[in-house]
Amino acid sequence: MLQYEAVFIAEPAHTDEEIDELLKGYEQIVNSAGGKVLKVEKWGKRRLAYSIGHHEEGIYVLMTLECPAGLIKELDRRLRMNERIVRHMAVRVESELQLGPSPMMKPRPERDDTLGEPSMAP
Amino acid sequence: MRESRESGGRGQDRGRKKQYKKKFLFRKKKFCKFCDEKIKFIDYKDVRLLQGFTPERAKIFPRRISGTCSKHQRKLMQAIKRARILALIPFTAD
Repeated sequence: MLQYEAVFIAEPAHTDEEIDELLKGYEQIVNSAGGKVLKVEKWGKRRLAYSIGHHEEGIYVLMTLECPAGLIKELDRRLRMNERIVRHMAVRVESELQLGPSPMMKPRPERDDTLGEPSMAP
Repeated sequence: MRESRESGGRGQDRGRKKQYKKKFLFRKKKFCKFCDEKIKFIDYKDVRLLQGFTPERAKIFPRRISGTCSKHQRKLMQAIKRARILALIPFTAD
């Protein structure tokens, strides 16, 4: 069993339910092959650094999973087949395995806070 | 000239080094940010960190300027390339 991190970017037109459905599908694939999904993180809609297939935005989802080596190939294939997924990437993680929230989930410091604080203060 | 250089060898080299040192006496010593902060693994998801190493033209900040050690520069490169694939940071500034 190896640990992987898969990130995919879905078209921004997806609704939350559709994303959940997608995830459920992938989780099923992983589970049926004897793998385990360790963590799912939805980063929500983000602006892409460059446009991909005429999309300027995308819905980012991160999955951390543990599965036999062959499965990631299958998952990769499925992600590629889905035309409503703009981009995906699956990478091995070893010692870097993080089960806590990723840096992406950290709230933005400074800028938002400094904007908020002065207005709150009397 | 040539003779003196050959015979001078190391001694002269050392002299040149001293001169060099004097010239840049006030330059701050560079250090590897990752060694300093004991960051063992550079995450491709840490966009804010990576952006600090891809200024202006979105090119990877060279080691000779940033002072990052070669071990960490390799890891940084890997992380930046992964982040680029996921459109978290740009390949180029447009």
